[in-house]
Amino acid sequence: MSHGGGGHAAELFPEDQVLAIGAVLSLIGIYVAQLFPSVSMLLGGLLAVGACVAGANTTRRVAAYGLGTGVPSIGMVSLGMGTISALAGVLIPAAFGIPVLVTPILTAVIAVAVGFIVGKLTQNPVGMKVPIIVSSMTKLSLMGALAILGFCSAFAGGFSADIIINGAISNGVIALAFIAAGMAILHPFNACIGPDESHKRTMTLAVACGLIAWLVFSIAKLDIVSTAVAAIFWLYTFGTFVKISLADACEVKYVPELPKKE
Amino acid sequence: MDATSFILPLAEITIAGAIINASVHFVPVGGAPAAMATSTGVGTGTTQLAAGAGFTGLLAAATMASQAGVSLANPVHMLLIMLSGAVGAMIMLGLTMLIGQIIYVYGIGIVPAADKCEKDPITGDIQKPYITPGTTGHGIPTVCFVSGSIGAALGGLGGALAYIALQQLGFAAAIAGVLAVGFFFMNAVLASYNIGGTIEGFHDPKFKKMPNGVIASFVSSLIAGAVLIGMAMGL
Repeated sequence: MSHGGGGHAAELFPEDQVLAIGAVLSLIGIYVAQLFPSVSMLLGGLLAVGACVAGANTTRRVAAYGLGTGVPSIGMVSLGMGTISALAGVLIPAAFGIPVLVTPILTAVIAVAVGFIVGKLTQNPVGMKVPIIVSSMTKLSLMGALAILGFCSAFAGGFSADIIINGAISNGVIALAFIAAGMAILHPFNACIGPDESHKRTMTLAVACGLIAWLVFSIAKLDIVSTAVAAIFWLYTFGTFVKISLADACEVKYVPELPKKE
Repeated sequence: MDATSFILPLAEITIAGAIINASVHFVPVGGAPAAMATSTGVGTGTTQLAAGAGFTGLLAAATMASQAGVSLANPVHMLLIMLSGAVGAMIMLGLTMLIGQIIYVYGIGIVPAADKCEKDPITGDIQKPYITPGTTGHGIPTVCFVSGSIGAALGGLGGALAYIALQQLGFAAAIAGVLAVGFFFMNAVLASYNIGGTIEGFHDPKFKKMPNGVIASFVSSLIAGAVLIGMAMGL
């Protein structure tokens, strides 16, 4: 069972496994967006959901320790570091003449480095008493960066500086990526937190949140096919989430009454 | 790009990060207890409050910076941009605290009183008798309001300084804005982890922890600044 200050609920999937799958899926999605711009929103957007889900999973793990400042703060710091790393990955290759295809890898490397340093700083001198804060900040920074780069390159149809700056940054779509991906990372645990939190329910909501972020981007891009696919996927996952919630509520509701006599 | 043209922006970014972190410590944050009027401050988290004030300040600074005839090379114009950022953030936080206060006093019917001091350091009013037993103060007393306004001004100054530095590095307005937002959040959250929950303002014992947060933001901003300069080289 998971509550502020306590440990965490039983895990269905190990965190590192979710993290690895999320990272690989979103990296594939980013490359698909660059190499096949015609399906950038359909596949790139779908695979960027992986980064959101992995980020939400890490949020769940670290926020269960009780941060003292609420769950949203960890989502916002994740996206704050992620934005800088994602833009660094886009702009640095042009500066040093590195081939543009290393952008996603470079983004990931910078995000890991920045996340690790900020995580170390929250331990000393700030003095956060959460044992997994350094590793979690590193993972969250990585997932924030991959989610932003994933959605932005899916929208723009590629991650090379000339495409993404005009296609997703100058027109303000990156602000949408900031807040939509941020909500997808911080909201699932924030909504499910409590004594009856279960990994399955939180993860189902995480997938639903990632999919609705994809749906928003599909609508913004006026991509009919991805809008339809995202809407169907989202409705299905959100329906599943509601069913799980009702089933969990039912368990609470049908607790037998206390006997009136000893 | 030669070395001298990025030493100044790097210094500005580093100082901006430290100012943003310091600013958050002034803002009276009450969280959920304040929403129920059982603690002093505004009823929401540090990050949200600082972000709200910071973004308003950033928008005010960006608007001033885009005015015709305003040049970043002119120190007086830079000061104007920073001041408009500070005023923008102060208006936002001042209004938030004012409306919150109206709801606290006339909606909930409480007397604003600070728990962390015997007498209000500004008005000299005695606080203790007005605090309901079992709570840690109510509403937004004068000292918290003044502290919050100082915090908002500093936050706006810091955000505007970061925006100026990014523009000096050659980023377009859109990219500079997005980067400043990310940078602002990073430092605001570092500060909120330093506070850990609620703070009344500069008279709160937790305020003494501020140097830790400022050092953390100084280091993280220096690193972020180095990354930003690497990015600027490609422009």
